[in-house]
Amino acid sequence: MITFTSFPSSPGGEYDAVRRHRETDNDMDVDFDDDDDFSSNRLRLTLPGDYLTSSQAFMRGHGTYVHEDQVVASVAGTVERVNKLITVRAIRTRYNPEVGDLVVGRITEVQPRRWKVDANSRQDAVLMLSSVNLPGGVQRRKLESDELQMRNFFEEGDLLVAEVQAFFSDGAMSLHTRSLKYGKLRNGQLVIIPPILVRRLKSHFITLPCGVDLILGLNGYIWVSRHIKASDQAGEEGFDAEAVYSNQNDDIDEPTRGAIARVTNIIHVLAAHFVPLTDTILLEAYEWSVEQEEANKGLFQEDVAEALVASLHSRS
Amino acid sequence: MGSRVEILNEGGFRSDGRRQYELREVTIDLSQQGQADGAAVITHGLTRVMVSVFGPREAKSRSQTIHDRANINVEVAISPFSAGERRKRSRGDKRILEMAATIKSTFEPVVQTTLYPRSQIDVFVQVLQQDGGLLQGCINATTLALVNAGIPLLDFVCAVSGGVYSTSPMLDLTLLEENDLPNLTVAVMPKTGKSTLVTMETRLHVDRFEEIFKLVCSASHALHQEMKDAVRVRTTSLVTAMGTTQSNVGGDTMMDES
Amino acid sequence: MRPPSPSIPEKEFLFASLKASLRLDGRQPLQLRTPELTFGPELGWVECALGKTRVLAQVDAKMVKPPPERPFEGMVSIHSEISPIASPEYEFGRASEEEVTMTRMLDKVLRRSDTIDKESLCVIAGQRVWHVRLAIHCLSDEGNMLDCACLAGIVALRHFRRPEIEVVGDEVTIHDPTERAPIPLAIHHSPFCFTFAFFADTSIPPILDPSHLEQRLSAGLVSIALNAQREICVLQKLGGVPLAPDSILNLVEIAVSRAKELDRLVDDKLKVDWSGRRVEFR
Repeated sequence: MITFTSFPSSPGGEYDAVRRHRETDNDMDVDFDDDDDFSSNRLRLTLPGDYLTSSQAFMRGHGTYVHEDQVVASVAGTVERVNKLITVRAIRTRYNPEVGDLVVGRITEVQPRRWKVDANSRQDAVLMLSSVNLPGGVQRRKLESDELQMRNFFEEGDLLVAEVQAFFSDGAMSLHTRSLKYGKLRNGQLVIIPPILVRRLKSHFITLPCGVDLILGLNGYIWVSRHIKASDQAGEEGFDAEAVYSNQNDDIDEPTRGAIARVTNIIHVLAAHFVPLTDTILLEAYEWSVEQEEANKGLFQEDVAEALVASLHSRS
Repeated sequence: MGSRVEILNEGGFRSDGRRQYELREVTIDLSQQGQADGAAVITHGLTRVMVSVFGPREAKSRSQTIHDRANINVEVAISPFSAGERRKRSRGDKRILEMAATIKSTFEPVVQTTLYPRSQIDVFVQVLQQDGGLLQGCINATTLALVNAGIPLLDFVCAVSGGVYSTSPMLDLTLLEENDLPNLTVAVMPKTGKSTLVTMETRLHVDRFEEIFKLVCSASHALHQEMKDAVRVRTTSLVTAMGTTQSNVGGDTMMDES
Repeated sequence: MRPPSPSIPEKEFLFASLKASLRLDGRQPLQLRTPELTFGPELGWVECALGKTRVLAQVDAKMVKPPPERPFEGMVSIHSEISPIASPEYEFGRASEEEVTMTRMLDKVLRRSDTIDKESLCVIAGQRVWHVRLAIHCLSDEGNMLDCACLAGIVALRHFRRPEIEVVGDEVTIHDPTERAPIPLAIHHSPFCFTFAFFADTSIPPILDPSHLEQRLSAGLVSIALNAQREICVLQKLGGVPLAPDSILNLVEIAVSRAKELDRLVDDKLKVDWSGRRVEFR
């Protein structure tokens, strides 16, 4: 007899394998027979091709389309309703930029008067030469010589933090770094997580008491770096070009390096368990991992990681 | 040259113990794979296909950008160890190119590409094991990976293969059956029941074709249910994971305004 | 280089007239352009034209040693190429997507559907077999080159005659066509390919045998290859606009009737040509 076992399927989450024989049809299709159904406070999940509601009574938003007078979902995710607007938010997707969002990105290309920046979005973002602060004061005019030495400011591969300024007609976003908070990144490391796990917070610049600064980019790129004292950062009016566009890392002492590594690992673990990041969660997780006195790499053991997530669940 | 194995014996069983209309066991794994935006591994019996989807992202080259919609780029690789006979296929193999082009054009009318002008969606198909029904596996895995990557689709695309042994139609053929029988693969969008892809490469009488074609179309609904369940379980587990750590999580995702 | 896409008025005019079941060349939606078959001086040399689409097919055969895994079967190979002679949109050297589709389709229709009885091509088992080579040249592309190429291919195979041979022990004598009449290939069936085009606007009915412009503006093609005995050899709908199962079965029925007509036409043409030739080989 032939048995259908190939590779043993990995014992992962309960969603790993689906048996073919099902006795019951637990079809929990969202059924919007009456429109008032929306008022219940339950999270609704939909799948592509699911009917949501009539297009006569509601407007279709992102993640939906209209087919034969019905609003139909086009992505798998949660249904949201604002008055008469129905949208479906996909769980895992690329970053959807909005004006004012803080993002961390990486330069991919230097073009005439602009840089192309990879920001985990559907197209590379654009950083215009006119949207950066150049050495020699905020009010300085851009000269032709600046165009020629654009690589002195940002080179391919450089990481930067910026804000979404506007959109082009094709949906590509334009960034700016016209603030002392923004600019080139150094003294740390980058972690990439699904963008949905970064919530909008009051501030996306977080300082943990362990001497680590975090920049939570809304695009899912997170910068973990050595803490820089506020007094150093502010500087004077005409800010120091050397410091802003420098490619040189400062000396980082051993404990700080350890702390940065620990925070990075915690973020990886939390992302793997799909836990949204906030400053409090990070702090709790950091304390927990120090309490446990686990070596940093112990975090990647499945049982330790699960204990961490479980302890966070219990605290909240 | 007749094969030594009976395709369908007198008791109505096939060489692997299935009945005529029985599909093979399907397993679906939607867990994260590396840096891919969406990934899926599907097995139909001993056929196993892995698909990773990247994007929508910036198109690699100027020639690949389309100004009013996203470009879908499909690459198929068949592992040399996937079949009984070890054989390395070059990337330029006509059969592989055709399969990639087939997958691409199957999904072009289904993916809402107009939402992502000038972007590119990369679909990498890796065949890990083959035992018949290769195209159906590739298409189903691609659907799941696209859904997993949060790319808007009009509907699922569910592909099922079928064949006819003298006059008896059969579903979901193994390699052994595929070599001996006229067979076809149909990809159906279950909501409308319309098919985006139909291929048949062996001689078959028109009347027989009609019978198996209709049967395959209805079988795709069973598969649709499987795929929906897998995606639903995956989505639910992610949503709960996000929800439990923060009491007010997704305050914006819940409909708390009413 | 791709030519620029058709202009908006051109596009709108075509769609509007198709909605009224009118085609720019005056055909009915499901009418085939009548194929013109021109036979060359040699056997197995056929030029097939569907309107301004022209394809040349040529068959020759030679003796080879068969591969060890199939000692009792002759060999059939098909060479096809779309060169820039057909249309400036095809590049030289690089295989375009159309070329891949066409090569694969020809292979499936003419070779894998067992059109030719390969065992009849065996001369001495394991030693000598015929290798039949079919070369397809696309001369001009005015839409639907695939159907034209398939038709040219099958007609060329049926038109071709290989020299008579005589086997004495291990000795093979090939008789010159002037000595003994050459004999036709053993052909099981003659598949014909029909391509239907669909449009994104579902109110436009499907059309058979699309012209170049219609093909450019279509949103999906269905190719059905079948023979007059109602056997489908290849059915291929690779993506494009989704279709309801019933409409696909409809197309199959239409293709069945067209195949019968075409089969009759090809039979007649071959008969006429052969009767004109017979004198030479007496």
